Amino acid sequence: MNEATKTIGRDLGRMFQALAGLLFVSILIPLIWGEYYAIPSLLVSGLLPLAIGSLLTSRFRGATKPGKLHGMIIAALGWFCVAIFGALPFFFIAWSAELAPPILGEPSQTPTLAAFTHPINALFESMSGFTGTGLTMTDNEEVLPRTLQWWRSFIEWIGGVGVIVLTTAILARPGSGSLTLYESEARSERIHPSIVSTVQTIWWIFILFTFVSILLLWIVGMPLWDAINHAMTGLSTGGFSIKDHSIATYDSAAIDFALLPIMLLGSIAFPVHYLILQGDLRNLYADLQTRWVFIYMSLGTLVLTALVYAGDTYDSLFTAFRYSSFQFVSAATCAGFQTAVDATNVALGRWSAQAQLTVTFGMVIGGAAGSTVGGIKLIRALTLLKGVRHRISDVFYPETAVRRLNINGRRLNEREIRQEFEEAAIIAMLWATFLAIGIFILLVILPQGEYTLENVIFEVASAQGNVGLSAGITGPESLPTLGKLMFLFNMWIGRLEIIPVLVTLRAVFRRGGLYQ
Amino acid sequence: MKLSDLPIVEEVFESGANDRVFDSLLLIGPVLIVGIAIVGRSLLTTGIAIAYVLFFVAYVVYRGISN
Repeated sequence: MNEATKTIGRDLGRMFQALAGLLFVSILIPLIWGEYYAIPSLLVSGLLPLAIGSLLTSRFRGATKPGKLHGMIIAALGWFCVAIFGALPFFFIAWSAELAPPILGEPSQTPTLAAFTHPINALFESMSGFTGTGLTMTDNEEVLPRTLQWWRSFIEWIGGVGVIVLTTAILARPGSGSLTLYESEARSERIHPSIVSTVQTIWWIFILFTFVSILLLWIVGMPLWDAINHAMTGLSTGGFSIKDHSIATYDSAAIDFALLPIMLLGSIAFPVHYLILQGDLRNLYADLQTRWVFIYMSLGTLVLTALVYAGDTYDSLFTAFRYSSFQFVSAATCAGFQTAVDATNVALGRWSAQAQLTVTFGMVIGGAAGSTVGGIKLIRALTLLKGVRHRISDVFYPETAVRRLNINGRRLNEREIRQEFEEAAIIAMLWATFLAIGIFILLVILPQGEYTLENVIFEVASAQGNVGLSAGITGPESLPTLGKLMFLFNMWIGRLEIIPVLVTLRAVFRRGGLYQ
Repeated sequence: MKLSDLPIVEEVFESGANDRVFDSLLLIGPVLIVGIAIVGRSLLTTGIAIAYVLFFVAYVVYRGISN
């Protein structure tokens, strides 16, 4: 066995151990709610990754530190394996209810829970949770056992910050190659010189914001259990709800407006949060991405309000503003909560095509890099815009002119401009390519005439942007198996910003000799 | 024995915010939520929850102004 395999094996093992810890902690929930039949499922689900993780870490204890290639493979494989292990509670609890053995107290089965007896549905839910997407295989979240309601929220909360960030905070020691892994999980900003200190800081900020969010939602009238779950999924911009009609269930303007700052907090980079909490409030406007989070959300809200109000979707300007602001922020922060649903529980069901496409645009761009959001990210969109402007204006200067480009307070020279522009262009191009492939496949496999083109674009952008708003296509029955597999891939590449997954696939194919 | 010697408190103080106010909010938060779960919605619990959120916001603004 070569050194690379040992390094990858050891670090995957650490991730599995951390995941096992999450499953064992979650046993508190069935104990509190009296869902004792779920305890064996959680125990078995935790013991499996613990055993495999312990085996890998002890066997490859002396492996070398991961390099860039290893880091990408560990991130990509780790996220996929974590999604597989994370699917076990859905699968086992659904089968516990299906078989209803008397020893487990004969738990009642529902069609919603029964959907998870199919492994693909359980894996879909888990991948959707960990990647913070929020698309779901449930028909009615309210009838799910509390244990699974919690597990859905918990994996989104963990996934929002990152599985590797979690593993680093719990199990890594300084100098164990944590930085390489950290950067492979679509993060690059450091708060402190030490990566372990950085992830600890990220965690205390995230936990403190979670407490504030739970209490804020409870104050505005949400029941405590709902507030806990929605604060976790809102802050992590995941968007799973424990209600069938998502946030529309409450029909409360106070709850809608209370969720706006929670989702916005999730879309701002952690280093900026840290500086603001240290008293440096200037970062709210001095940091390029944070400034544009507010500009972008405001502009999107205004355009959307104008579109739905002019389209007579709502009676009053306030109602149009209420739903537009919530839905644009929900989409652009990649949270995916819904308030504008119609009688069939379809997101934006009554909205015009141009309004739906405006929301789709929000999903594609996303929020700030280094936060919990998906999408291309604002910094890349701004780099592309500035880079294009720089290239065009170049023609008007003499060839000998030395030109610089300012991005977020950094003055880039010609080589740096090319490097930044190239990186942003590659991600954006790959993003658009996989979006187009997804749209094409969905158009082929869905029944003809059942969904419009804007519905299909909306759904694929939602999956790949890790948003979770649905035009009604995603569901245990409505989405064919090939579509589920494709969305699994879309969610996976969307969370890791594509490159680590492609690197892993290349490594796997070359090793297996599938092409050469 | 000092308060900071208690197991969870010591952990929070060591790896937390390095700021006693944020550390205290981190420690009080879960106690308050468990309290609300036990007692339910009342004038007192609502008042404490509002005070917690307002104090957090006010402290962030205060640090910003005093810097």
